[in-house]
Amino acid sequence: MSVLAPLLALAAIAYIVVVLDGWLSTGRLRPFAPATAALGLLARESVVPRSPDRLFFETAPVLLLIAAVLAAAVLPLGPGLVIADLATGALFVNAAFAYVLVALLMAGWGPDGAYAMVGGWRFLGQTIAYSMLIVMPITAVAMRAQSLSTADIVRSQAGLWNVLYQPLGFALFFVAGMAVAFLPPFDLPTAPGELAGGVEAEYTGARLAVFRIARTVLVVSLATATTVFYLGGWLGPGLPPWAWSALKTLAVAAAMLELGHAVPRIREAHLLAWAWKAGIPLALLNIFLVGVLLLVLP
Amino acid sequence: MTGTPMSPLQLAFVAFFGLAAVWFALVVFRTSSMMRSALALLFSQTALGALFLALQAEFLGVLQIMMMATEMSIMAIFMVMFMMDPGGLGQMDMTHQKRLSILAGVIAAVAIAAVALLTPWGAPATTVPSPADQLQGLGRELLGRSMLVFETAGITILTAMVAATAVAMPAFERRRER
Repeated sequence: MSVLAPLLALAAIAYIVVVLDGWLSTGRLRPFAPATAALGLLARESVVPRSPDRLFFETAPVLLLIAAVLAAAVLPLGPGLVIADLATGALFVNAAFAYVLVALLMAGWGPDGAYAMVGGWRFLGQTIAYSMLIVMPITAVAMRAQSLSTADIVRSQAGLWNVLYQPLGFALFFVAGMAVAFLPPFDLPTAPGELAGGVEAEYTGARLAVFRIARTVLVVSLATATTVFYLGGWLGPGLPPWAWSALKTLAVAAAMLELGHAVPRIREAHLLAWAWKAGIPLALLNIFLVGVLLLVLP
Repeated sequence: MTGTPMSPLQLAFVAFFGLAAVWFALVVFRTSSMMRSALALLFSQTALGALFLALQAEFLGVLQIMMMATEMSIMAIFMVMFMMDPGGLGQMDMTHQKRLSILAGVIAAVAIAAVALLTPWGAPATTVPSPADQLQGLGRELLGRSMLVFETAGITILTAMVAATAVAMPAFERRRER
C-alpha cells in the first residue's frame, strides 16, 4: 500500500501534466489525448536500427524510467506517504537523476546513428554542468533542515518556505531541473528541427512510448523535488496534505513545460558558459547566504 | 536497523552485489567497445554502492552510486575520443603490455589481500549506528581530524583543473577573446 499509493499518484500526476501541457500550448482540452497517443505508439511497428548496440538500445528507455521513478520514491507526498524515507533522501534524489545521464548516453550510443550520438554527447556536457546546480542548492536546503531526510526538509519549512528563504537557490534548482529533464530551451539532446529528435530519433513504437513516459515521469519527479525542497511539500492550510503536494507539483510541472514554449533554444556553448560562469558562482553564493542567515536568524 | 547482526538475507545481498561487482569488472576487459567498457565499470561501481547499502552504510552507498554515474560517463567520452576504434567493430586488439599488466595486477591483489588479512580489525561490530547518526559522525569527522586531508586533496584537484583548462585553451583563442 505504501508503495502503490505514491506510484499511482506519480502516474496520475504525469497524466494530468501531459493533458495540461496540451491544453496550455494548443488551447484545446483533450483529456484522452495521452491515452490515445500511447495506444497509437504501442500499436505502431517498433523498428530497430541496422547495427545497434542492442543492449544499450533496449536498456536506455527503461533505465530512464527507473531513474525517474527512483527519484520520486524518496520524495514524500504527505506525512508518511513516501515509498522509502531514507536518512540520505536528498542525496539519493541526486543519485537517481545522475542515471538520467547514463540512460541518455546509452540512447545516444545504442542506435549507431549520427543524430542520436550527437544528442547523447551533448547531454553529457549539459548534465555535468547543470547537475551541479541541482546538488549545490540542495546542499543549502539540507543546511537549513540540518538533515538530508526529505521529510525533515519539508518540516523545516513550516515557518517559511524555502522559496522565500533562499530564492536564489530556488531559481537555480528550477532552471537546472528543466535542463536535467531536457525540456525546452534546454532540449539539446533531442532538439527537434535541428537534430531530428536526437537521442529519440531512432526509437519508434513501444520503445518510444516508454521513452516519452519516462521523460514525463522525470518532469514530474523534478517538479515533486522542487515542491519538497522549496515549496513546503505537503504543508498548507485547509486541504489534506496529499492535495497540497499534488497541486504544487502540478503547478511546478506546468510552469516547467510552459516556460519552455516561450524561450528559444540555447546553443550548447552558451548553455555551458552560463552554467559554469554564472550558475555555479551563484550557487556558491546561495550556500554562503543561507549559512549567514542560519547563523544570524534565531 | 540498529542492534541487529547480519541476517541471512542481508548476507545474500552482500554476496550478490559483491559478485556482480566482480562480474562487471571482468566485462570491462572482455569487450572491445569503449562505451560498453566504461559503462561496465560504472555498473561494477554501482554494485559496490549497492553492497555498501546492504552493509547499512547508507550515505557511503548513495554517494558511491551518485558519483560514479557522472564520473564513468566522463570517462566514457574520453575513452571514445582517444581510442582509434571506440565501437570495437574493427576487430582491433586493444590490449598491450600484457605481461607487465598481469604482474602489476597480481602484485596489487596480493597487497590488498595482505592488508585485508594482516590488519587487526578487531571483533566484528554487532551494532550499526542509524543512518542519521552515521551522517552526523561523518560531518564531524570532515570538520575535525580529516579536514586538512580533504582540503589538501580538494585544492590539489582544483589546481589541476585550472591548469588543465589553461593548457587546453589554444593561444589564438585566448587572443581572439580579448
